[in-house]
Order: sequence, then structure tokens, then C-alpha cells
Amino acid sequence: MLYVVLFFLMVSLLLYVILAGADFGAGIVELFSTKKSQQITKKTVYRVMGPVWEANHIWIIILVVILWVGFPEFYNVLTVYLHIPLTLVLLGITMRGVAFVFRHYDAYKDKSQILYDWMFRISSFLTPIFLGMTAGGMLSGELIITQDYELFTFYELFINPWFNAFSILIGLFFAALCTFLTSILLIGEAERDDRRIYVKKARNATIVVILLGFIVLSYGFIYDIIFATGFLKNPYTISLVLLSAFLIFPLLKSIKQARKIMSRSLAGLQVILILIAAMVTHFPYFIITSNDKISILETASTNEVTNVLGISLIIGGLIILPGLFHLFKSFKMIKILEK
Amino acid sequence: MDNLDASRLQMAFTLIFHIVFACIGMVMPFFMVVAHKKWLNTKNPVYLKLTKSWQKGVAIFFVIGAVSGTALSFELGLLWPEFMKHAGPIIGMPFSLEGAAFFVEAIALGFYLYGWGKISEKFHWFTGVIVGIAGVASGILVVSANGWMNAPSGFDYINGEFLNIDPVKALLNPAWFTQALHMVLAAFTATGFAVAGVHAYQVYKKRQTDLHKKAFKIAITFGAIAAILQPISGDLSAKDIAKRQPVKLAAMEAHYETKKGAPLYIGGIVDVEKKEVSYKIEIPKALSFLAFGDFNAEVKGLNDFPEDERPNVAIVHYAFQTMVGIGTLLLVVGLLFFISLKKKTWWLNNKFWLLFVLLAPMGFIALEAGWIVTEVGRQPWIIHNIMKTKDAVTPMPGMIYSFYMYITLYSILTVAVIWLMRRQIKSLNNSKLV
Repeated sequence: MLYVVLFFLMVSLLLYVILAGADFGAGIVELFSTKKSQQITKKTVYRVMGPVWEANHIWIIILVVILWVGFPEFYNVLTVYLHIPLTLVLLGITMRGVAFVFRHYDAYKDKSQILYDWMFRISSFLTPIFLGMTAGGMLSGELIITQDYELFTFYELFINPWFNAFSILIGLFFAALCTFLTSILLIGEAERDDRRIYVKKARNATIVVILLGFIVLSYGFIYDIIFATGFLKNPYTISLVLLSAFLIFPLLKSIKQARKIMSRSLAGLQVILILIAAMVTHFPYFIITSNDKISILETASTNEVTNVLGISLIIGGLIILPGLFHLFKSFKMIKILEK
Repeated sequence: MDNLDASRLQMAFTLIFHIVFACIGMVMPFFMVVAHKKWLNTKNPVYLKLTKSWQKGVAIFFVIGAVSGTALSFELGLLWPEFMKHAGPIIGMPFSLEGAAFFVEAIALGFYLYGWGKISEKFHWFTGVIVGIAGVASGILVVSANGWMNAPSGFDYINGEFLNIDPVKALLNPAWFTQALHMVLAAFTATGFAVAGVHAYQVYKKRQTDLHKKAFKIAITFGAIAAILQPISGDLSAKDIAKRQPVKLAAMEAHYETKKGAPLYIGGIVDVEKKEVSYKIEIPKALSFLAFGDFNAEVKGLNDFPEDERPNVAIVHYAFQTMVGIGTLLLVVGLLFFISLKKKTWWLNNKFWLLFVLLAPMGFIALEAGWIVTEVGRQPWIIHNIMKTKDAVTPMPGMIYSFYMYITLYSILTVAVIWLMRRQIKSLNNSKLV
């Protein structure tokens, strides 16, 4: 059952990154657009994401619940030592959600829209960066786990682990991934001129992703960060990344041929491959501290708890996934009918 | 302020905020589907307009309830890591089921909000019903997790370790039913009176009275029925608390001395130093009867509990009095509403509407007071008789800054939502019928 739980943990993480990632990307694409295309993007984003965006974000709750039920000690390390970036993530999620709703449900469309728009764009940009920095905090090797908090300064224990160059680079890399996902998604929703704009954005995002990925790994290699060196040495990891890189060619082709579903699936697959690569590098050691590694498996709850959790997840999955699929499918059909 | 107080205040503040939005988001879908059903049955365009405007309210409240709920699920770990490390696996069951219910709600809401004219009328209406049911289900599940903190069960506590965990037994802890029932009724009462009050104000101001009277009637019917049923649930809760958490009951009533045939205190000012309540109304033997169904039963007083295991008596007592007082008031007004259905002339009197305007916030004040009774009454324990709150708090110093940040953010959000709701109503009144 432990592996069933781990599987659901991974699936929730991947779905959160892909679906919420595309959501965050929507705000980032808007942020880096000209005034005219901002409005087009805003409308398109609403049409595409409106019905599903709420569901997209529930994956993080599932993720948190699996962690605290199934891997309580692991979750404990995160909440104690990465308290600050997680709080910043929450702040971002709150501002973003609120701004998204305000700007679409406010009874009057007046000047206050400008405020909602900026709230939405800025928090869309910062939230994935903080999420990435939290992940960076887990992997940068700067975490100090201690029983005696007096021995270290506040900065050493609670700031430095996530607020360092490596973690910031990971944060930026994740924001770039989100932008990449959204640009590909939007290409399929736009016509003629707008389409060209998104194609251009997708190309830029791809370049930034590759560039940042390269910088993250080189930085890690130069400064001998365990996660990065492990990443570069692991043959599985490297093959997954190479496969992801290779997929750029069919992706470009499917964009050119305007194959909506194909290009989206390929972009999603690329991101998933990169994430899986990052996960297999040190599996099951998902937290690397200054002098130790914490295996997620060793922090697992007892068998009784894991069994109940696994069964609940299977039942929950059977109820939710068809509904979710139906929701996605329904609104895709509706969009075709609208045209 | 030390770290513990700052963390407690932050938790209290975020809960107080979340509860309001979660309750409205949970109850309003029912008003919405009733209006929707009336539209389907009568084809009266006023109902369609009402449904569509309530649906916007549902969307706004759902999202704010959802984001503040997400924040809370993190905060449990961020503020009380030691609690979550042990309690997480035990009360994970209600939370994972709540996640599922919440998911169903979000999916159904996606269909409902965007489904107008695009999916079959019946299915569309049905998705609205699902939104409501799933919302109530998640409310019940979350309260069950809270019930476990009051009535920890489903594990063996041996030498500081939580062994032989049984998540199902923890979910169905002894407090879950009374607490969940009380909460669901409270949510319906509070939201019913609040929404009715908003529409009563519009009638009072003579704006689109036909629409607002219809809206009022739907909302207040739910609120009034819940208010009338609430005392039954209150009685169940009191009897349960008397048995399980006698110290909480003693604090609610500010009873210091253990007595047979204990009187019920109404109101009064608590003097913590002198350990007595002055200016109270005393009903002889009533507390013994209410708590144990026997006029001569013994009720344990606060003096029988160690000093460091008593909650803040004054806060719990005042909060309890507030809750019961308002509850009784709403019960009476709820009955008045049903009488008004027979005496139609009342509806023409502006004082009738003013009454409901004044009552609009009352249900929520009572609801918050009720949560203060539950939560402050449980102190100093985070898990009753097992773990103290001070042993659960995060070791990270400087929580006071986090508290300031949250209080600023949530205050801004509260103002923003009120402002947004005013605009909704203004636009509703300004627009023509569909």
C-alpha cells in the first residue's frame, strides 16, 4: 500500500504542477505582454480556465493531506524549516485566487479591474517562484535539522536554506516551466494574429526554460551541490532529460500543423519528464540537508494508517477522476460549439 | 507577545475569517438551487435573475472559502507542527475525505457556473444540488476532525506515543455527531439570517421589492427552520460536553464550586480573582437538569480541576452567553417569520423589514461565539488530556510578524468582499429584468 500512496503523491504533485502550473503561467504570460495582447490573453485565459481552475488547485490540498497523513515526519520538517517560503506561497495562492474571481465576477467592469489585474499577474509570477524556492530549500543541502534551536541563528535555520542562489534559480526555472505550459495551451485557443503572438511566446519560454535549466545545473555542478551532481551522474535522469529535449522537435511540428491536443500533450509530457527526472535522481531521499538525507520512505506512517489512506485514495480517485475528465471534456466540446 | 500567543491569535483570526466564508459558500448554493427550481417551474424571470445573482455570490464566497481553507490546511502544520506530526495520521481520514468532497464540489461548481444553456436543464440544476451537498459534507468532515481534538479516540497513548491507530474510529469520535449537527444548523441559521437581512434592507429601501421579497423568503425559511431546530442540538451538545469535558462545561457556566442541583447562570460578570459571578440571573437546579437530565445531579466546579488545566473562564462564559442569547433571539424571530406568513399585513410594515436588517449579523456573531466556546474551552489542551497547545507550537521564533501579515491581508480581503457584494446588489437593482 505504501507504494500506492507514493503513487498518488506523485500523481497529485505532477497534476498540480501541470494544471496549476498552466494557471500560474497564465498570469505570467499576461505580465510579460503588451497592453493589447494582455486583454486578449485575459479573455482567452478565462474561457479556457474558468470552469477548471478551481479544480486545478485542489491538487495541492490532496498533496498536503497525503503528506501529513502518510509521511508525517517528512511534512514536519517542511513546515518547521520551510515555514517562511510556504507562508509566502500561501499568500500568493490567496491573492491570486481572489484576484481571479474579483476580476471576473465584479458587477462593474471599471478602474478597479486594473488593480485586480496587477494583483493577479504579480502573484501568478511570485507564487511559482516561492514554490520552486521551497523545493530548492529541500534540495539545496543548506537545511540544518536540529533539536537545539539556540545553537544556530534565525538566518541559518529559517532563511538561508531557501533564500540562496540555487533555490532562487530553481524558483525561476519553475516559473519559466509554467510560462512554457501556458503559451503552448494558448496557441490552440487563438486565431491568426493572436496565434502568432503565442507561438512567439512559446518559443521564448522554451529558450528561457532551457537556458535556466542549464544555469541551475552548472551552478550546482560548480558549487558541488549534491542534488545537481547526483542529477548529472544518474543515467536514468539524463536519459529522461534528453528524451524531454528531443520532444521539442515533434512539439514544434505539431504547433506548426496546429494540432492542439498533440502539442498540449507533448508540452505536458516534457514537463512531466523533467519532474520525474528530478524525483528519481535521489529517490527516496527528497530532503537533502547540510549533513544528511531524509528518505521519504523512512518517514512513512504505520501500516494500518497507510492501508486506510491507500484505500481512501483509490476510492476517491475512482469518484473524482471520471468527474474531472467529464468536466474537461464537456467544456472543450462547448468551446467547439461556440465557434 | 510570545510565540505561542501570536500563533494562537493567528490561528483564531484565520479560523474566524474562514468560517464565515466557508459557511456562506456551503449554505448559499441551497438558496440558489431553490430559486433555480422556482424558475424552472414558474418561468418567472425574477427567479432567473435571482438565481444568477446568487450564483455570483456563491462563486465569490466559494473561492474565498477555498483559498482561506487551503491556507488553514497549511497553517495546521506551519503553526502546530508537533500536533500534526502525531495527529496527522490519525485525523487524516476526515481530511482526505474532505478533500474528495471539496473536489466534487469544485467540479460540480465548474459545471454549474459555466453550464447555462450548454448542458441539459435538469442536469445543470442537479450540479447545483451537488455543490450544496458536497459543501455540507466537507463541513461535517472538517468538524469531525475538530471533534477528535475534543474527544481523542482511535489510538492508544502509551509512553507519549500514539500507537494502534484506527483512522475510522478517530473519524467517528464521540464528539463528531453533536458538533457537526450543531455546526450545520448554525451555518444555515447564520447564513439564512445574513442573506435575508441583506435582502430585507433592499425591501426597506424600496428597491426592486418583488425580487428582494422572494429572495428574503427563500433565505429566511432555511434560517428560521435551522434556528428553531438548534436548541435540540444545543441540548445534545451540552449533555455530551458535561460527560466528556466537564471542565469546559464548568467554564461555560463559570461554576467554581462543585454542587448537587447546580443552578443555571444567565449573564453576569465573572470575577476570576474572587472566583464568583456577580449580577447574574440564577435558575435553581436548571444546570444539573440540562447537563444530566436530573435536577439533583452533581456538576463539577472549576475548583475541582488543577489550576493549569482550566481554560480562560471569562472568555468562555461570555462567549457561551452570547451564543445562547442570540440563538434564543433568532429562534423567536424565526417563529415570528412563520406567523408573518399568515399575517400578510406585517410584510407591508417597514419595521418588520428593519428587524431583519438589524438581525443580519447576529447569526454569525453567535456562530463565532460558539467556536470560541469550543476552542478556548478546550485550552490548555490541543488534544484533550493528551497534548498541550504550548507543546505543539512551531519552534520558529517571530510568529508575531506572521500574525501581523495575516491580519492585514484578511482585513483587506474582508473589506474587499463587502465592497464587492455592495456592487453586486447595486448592479442587481440597477439592471432591468432579464
